[in-house]
Amino acid sequence: MADRREALRIIGAIGTTCAFPFSSGELYGQHQHPPEGKQADAGKPQYFQPAEFAVISRIADLIIPPTDTPGAVAAGVPAYIDMVVHTNNQHQAVFKEGLAYVAAQAGGDFLGLSETRQIALLTPLSNAVDRGELKGPGEKFFRAMKSMTADGYYTSKAGMSVELGYKGGTVLSEYPSCDVPEH
Amino acid sequence: MNKVSNEREPIASAPNSDIVMDNPIMAVKIYDVVVVGSGAGGGTLSAHLARAGVDVAVVEGGPKVNTRTDFNTHAMPFEFADRHIPTMKAGKPGYDSERTRGVGGKTMLWNAVAWRQSERDFKGKTFEGAGEDWPVGYKDMAPYYERIEREVGVCGNLDHLEDLPDGIFLPPVPMKCSDVLVQRGAAKLGLKVIHVRKSTLSRATRTRPACHFCGNCMAGCDVAAKYNSFDVHMSPALKTGKLEIFSNSIVREVVVSNENRVTGVRFLDRTTMKEGEVRGRSVVVACACVQSVALLMMSKSRLYPDGLGNSSGQLGKHFIPHMTGGVEAFMKPMIGKHLTADEGFLDHAYLPSFMHTRKRDYARSFGAQFGYQNRRSVGWARQLPGFGKDYKQSVKDRFPSYLVFSPYGEKIPDARNFVDLDYSQKDSFGLPLARRQVFWTENDMKIFHDMQNWSKEILLQAGAEILSVSDKPATNHELGGCRMGEDPKTSLLNAYCQSHDVKNLFVVDGSVFPSASEKNPTHTIMALAARTAEHIAGRLKKGEM
Repeated sequence: MADRREALRIIGAIGTTCAFPFSSGELYGQHQHPPEGKQADAGKPQYFQPAEFAVISRIADLIIPPTDTPGAVAAGVPAYIDMVVHTNNQHQAVFKEGLAYVAAQAGGDFLGLSETRQIALLTPLSNAVDRGELKGPGEKFFRAMKSMTADGYYTSKAGMSVELGYKGGTVLSEYPSCDVPEH
Repeated sequence: MNKVSNEREPIASAPNSDIVMDNPIMAVKIYDVVVVGSGAGGGTLSAHLARAGVDVAVVEGGPKVNTRTDFNTHAMPFEFADRHIPTMKAGKPGYDSERTRGVGGKTMLWNAVAWRQSERDFKGKTFEGAGEDWPVGYKDMAPYYERIEREVGVCGNLDHLEDLPDGIFLPPVPMKCSDVLVQRGAAKLGLKVIHVRKSTLSRATRTRPACHFCGNCMAGCDVAAKYNSFDVHMSPALKTGKLEIFSNSIVREVVVSNENRVTGVRFLDRTTMKEGEVRGRSVVVACACVQSVALLMMSKSRLYPDGLGNSSGQLGKHFIPHMTGGVEAFMKPMIGKHLTADEGFLDHAYLPSFMHTRKRDYARSFGAQFGYQNRRSVGWARQLPGFGKDYKQSVKDRFPSYLVFSPYGEKIPDARNFVDLDYSQKDSFGLPLARRQVFWTENDMKIFHDMQNWSKEILLQAGAEILSVSDKPATNHELGGCRMGEDPKTSLLNAYCQSHDVKNLFVVDGSVFPSASEKNPTHTIMALAARTAEHIAGRLKKGEM
């Protein structure tokens, strides 16, 4: 076998396009192929039951709440998550176990808890995810929820244009100058 | 010309016509040169030949693409359910697989970085005993670099660097705020950051407008301020009446006669799957590194059972893509600051190779691009800690300051890196898929770790908050596999990109590189195409084809 500092890699048939070696370069939704004309934020959920969808929606809004700009729900994030999970068995398992975990922790009714208690329930999961610990179903679920919420929100019109202020495709006659203070 | 089929019009070749007709089935005419592929190599070469009075047919696997109307250049992610912006507008074909890109090839979607290679890049083996020498040196290539720069317009600064020769430049584009910060950080370590050099116009020309900084160069430049081989090279050359473009024609074989001459190419019509043929006195294969290797491997014959022009057995060997990796960071002085519309033109600065003159325990070197992702990439937001209002605010604050630092390192040729065909995997045209085998050698990994360390250090000196560091190398800029060289036993092509085995066969693209350098290769591919075109036109004039 080769030296351990060496490695063989088969890139495969489709090869490289633009090198962007970070997970940040890929969004969950990119791997979904919704039918033509189907909008992420239109119609009833395709995968989640109404009760599940309500919990997903609540957690999405706790992750990115409404402030002076829209939150996750107003930006259509729950429907985006539904679209992503709809066609992916692995995500479905994570959400199924995760929703069961959250329900058990909440004594059966997450939505019945006060906002403070809802946040208190999610905080240890978030802390574990930030430490890179993904052992339990709760942590795996929270990571998926947060990643999909961030992806869905910051690629939505509300998230990208209103919250972040990104206009995109601006035609400029002159390049804006930079005035970074000396340090 | 003759009508080429019952159902189709002949290819446009009349003066003053920009029309490219799709899908002839059998061209009766015998062309002086048949060029496979229409990107940086094929597009440049065919235009140069046509202007020299040579009859050229370009055979391209993809459809004709209109840069002005067909790309989703200005789309936003929320216009699509899956938030993924498709390359092409609805109903516009092209760029859907490796073998069916479109007229213009990858120049339609490139970032347009344009470097001249230095003598050290061409003669690496002589300089430090690593890599392979090219059969041409800087002095051979300089006139062709200059010709390309004058034709296409390259902007940049005169920096007087030994390892990055200056050229004929339009004025450089000002640096971004993040570039200025990186430049100051690098200066603390004694490193120079320069203006990037790109084949994108910083000043309007007679026929093309200057860049207007809309910020999505790699999604197709809809005003052709950024070079693409169709709008800049081929379209004007169509007016000579000497150039014809067969689009949607996927070449599956270069045909060789028993007299050891190539006589043309056989193709599959991309839309009807009908077979077709274009005949010529010579053939130039220029369909992008790996696909050129694949085409030559598929072109088996009695004379060349192991692939056309492969008597050396070297075809596909010594695949040397660039090695990259990188660091994601937030530039602290920009956190929470006003968002400026500064993504236009993508990256504006560059860290040229500096390790050649420093003590190190590996051969060759690296350079770094940074900030060439535009702000539509927001996937990093999921990596910030916490949730709720504070999380939302921290994403907003960091949005103007996000930077990706991407070093590019040179991979030294090694037999364990190669391209071959996987006959068990066929594409939708029934052609075997090309397979890339990449082996990271000890030298590669030393460069990788060193370039990661330098990247982190430069960013820290620049006042950055580092978000992530990629932990393994990735590849980009495919090179090698059909290399040039003096020795027919160890190379496939001579100094004019001409096959050692078959005298009227040429290859011009990234596959011909014997050594990769750390520099983006397209400018060198275009200069090689200009040089090869001149050589072919000269030989045709002397009646040598």
